[in-house]
Amino acid sequence: MNRRRFMTLTGSTLAMLGGGQAFAQQPQGRLRIDPTEFRPIPIAITNFVPGSPADGDVGNGVTQVITNNLKRSGLFAPVDQAAFIERISNIDVAPQFENWKTLNAQALVTGRMTRQPDGRLKAEFRLWDVVTGQQLAGQQYFTSPEYWRRIAHIISDQIYEKLTGEKGYFDSRVVFVDETGPKERRVKRLAMMDQDGANVRYLTRGSDLVLTPRFSPNSQEITYMEFGQGDPKVYLFNIETGQREIVGNFPGMTFAPRFSPDGQRVIMSLQQGGNSNLFVMDLRSRSTTRLTDTPAIDTSPSYSPDGARICFESDRGGRSQIYVMAAGGGAAQRISFSKDDNNATYSTPVWSPRGDYIAFTRQGGGQFSIGVMKPDGSGERLLTSGYHNEGPTFSPNGRVLMFFRDPGGSGGPSLFSVDISGRNELKVPTPGFASDPAWSPLLSSTSG
Amino acid sequence: MKVKVDKTLVASIALHVLVLGWGLVTFSSRAFVPAEESLPIDIISTDQLAQMMSGQKTGDKKEPKPKVEKIAEAKPEEDAVGKVTEKKELIKTNSTPEPPPKPVEKPVEKKPEPPKPVAEAKPKEEPKPPEKKPDPAKEDPIAELQKKLETKKPPPKPPEQKVAAVQPQQVPKPKERSFDPAQIQRDLDKRAATRHELAGSTLNASASLGSTSGTAANNIATWRGAFQGAVKRCFTPTYNGQDADQYEADIDIPMKIDGSLASEPIVVAVRGPSRSIAQAVAESARRAIVQCQVYSFMPKQQYESWKLIPMTFGLKDML
Repeated sequence: MNRRRFMTLTGSTLAMLGGGQAFAQQPQGRLRIDPTEFRPIPIAITNFVPGSPADGDVGNGVTQVITNNLKRSGLFAPVDQAAFIERISNIDVAPQFENWKTLNAQALVTGRMTRQPDGRLKAEFRLWDVVTGQQLAGQQYFTSPEYWRRIAHIISDQIYEKLTGEKGYFDSRVVFVDETGPKERRVKRLAMMDQDGANVRYLTRGSDLVLTPRFSPNSQEITYMEFGQGDPKVYLFNIETGQREIVGNFPGMTFAPRFSPDGQRVIMSLQQGGNSNLFVMDLRSRSTTRLTDTPAIDTSPSYSPDGARICFESDRGGRSQIYVMAAGGGAAQRISFSKDDNNATYSTPVWSPRGDYIAFTRQGGGQFSIGVMKPDGSGERLLTSGYHNEGPTFSPNGRVLMFFRDPGGSGGPSLFSVDISGRNELKVPTPGFASDPAWSPLLSSTSG
Repeated sequence: MKVKVDKTLVASIALHVLVLGWGLVTFSSRAFVPAEESLPIDIISTDQLAQMMSGQKTGDKKEPKPKVEKIAEAKPEEDAVGKVTEKKELIKTNSTPEPPPKPVEKPVEKKPEPPKPVAEAKPKEEPKPPEKKPDPAKEDPIAELQKKLETKKPPPKPPEQKVAAVQPQQVPKPKERSFDPAQIQRDLDKRAATRHELAGSTLNASASLGSTSGTAANNIATWRGAFQGAVKRCFTPTYNGQDADQYEADIDIPMKIDGSLASEPIVVAVRGPSRSIAQAVAESARRAIVQCQVYSFMPKQQYESWKLIPMTFGLKDML
């Protein structure tokens, strides 16, 4: 009894002494702060001042979209407008920063929407550092009135980039499979929307089943698999013209297509008998190259951002696992190894646009999980788990993952997003059931 | 009919019973020993430590030294419990009971009139109390101090108006004193007992400005931890990528003695794979430093050690 107490006390004392010693070792050195806890940046976003009374609605709309974007990112905590002390009526005059410091806001957004004589909208905004009183950004944009939401997304990206140092992802789109009707006769259509769920457009009529749509790097084309009259085939779809064409002319089923980072090639699986292997087709020359040749199912290929490597799933080892190999083929290295469940399988790998992670779907223990790991297989982290989660896709900046979740039963799948650290899981609004999301690259550059 | 009994079997059974019985008694008794309660130990952070060790602005400005001395003397006088009660009675009868414990303050405050009669009385007391060893030793310094009072009559008191306001409350006590050798002896006894009481209650009850001779104020780790904690509260970096541990920003912070910033924090260097992210980390750190000022808890007597605070902000624990 006494011995145990003594050991406890001794241990604590030694720990404290150790800490003290560590402190004392560098009394003249630099103090160091490494926060362990993540907290969003408090930001105040004022209503955009209307140039005329008619511009009031669009001004408020822009403010709302920006607020929603930043809030959903999880990195910002917009201050409730009801708490605002100061009302901004002229964005060309510096705000009274004390009024915003009182609200603990670290940043302040002011803006103005003015309709021009030619009918276009002029959007201006300023981003202020409340603490130092400095202007961090100031831009103006002109656009057709119907594109006011896109202006709001672009401004959101500017704010995001100035305060985080990373590119934003708000001015982007998501293509997905829209699902309607009863489960046994589900109609699946290709649909596209803004990343926040607005501006939904349907790209196909639903007469044929569609799966696994993927954006091209210029966001102008989509490749996907469609079950037509014969074998399922991979198609290319031009968003602007609405035209579509079959990728290649293969005897068997082709599926799981994805563009190369330069947009010049499409990599996919081709079924041959009971096996499927990876092929890549050059879109200009229409020449194809076989990348794998194994008596197994190799599928779901995804390029690294530099195009030098691909990750894919294969059951060549007996169970579906993730492998990495050179983009031109060759030896593949398995990178997925479950530490706690030898029966776990890994599928649908996607390489982050930033190159630092590979996202995947993991099945094990009766659950489907979405997770990330480093390209060498280390640092595996599951972000969300449940009855059925599948099909992760990265935001253009690699910061957020979108995936679909099917609760089972008579319901249908929905889209969700989650930060790569596992925080801030949110449902993405869609008109109906939705699955197989694919995030587009950033539509515009936000640098400067 | 005779039943044959195998002696070895009997011996074996008996031996087993003995062993099992011994085992039951021995081990079961240990098993029933009540589980030992764990000793709760709180692990406190450096800023909590700083809070505990720092003084309060509103604290009593009395010097703590006398209290410590009295405690040391009071310990051996465990028998003197009765004396304490006696002295309380004396206190009631005597209109000037408390002066002994506050000798140090009074001399400083009471420079003009009252001390004279007391000073006259004490030299006469010296021969009488020789029986009690500790008391005369204490009495001498008091008498000396009071003598000093006489010599210190002239010293001016310009800024200490508050002290002057407090003085009238203590002045009447010596006026009521009259020379009585017997009472002096009681006073001396009472003094010892009173010290005992004072020591117990005062140390716990009165707020303190902190010890000037203690190690708390000199403990650099104290203000370092407190400063770290204060800045950390406002530091809201947003990056938590896989390479977060590679991002760092070195910032120098010029400070004023009142704990506010002497000037804008200076970004000395930023490190990380992406310059824009590293810069954002530095800006976030700079905002935190400015936003969380004023750092009024910084020890002024240590100002030279924190006049310029070099800090490094990192993200290695963000994931």
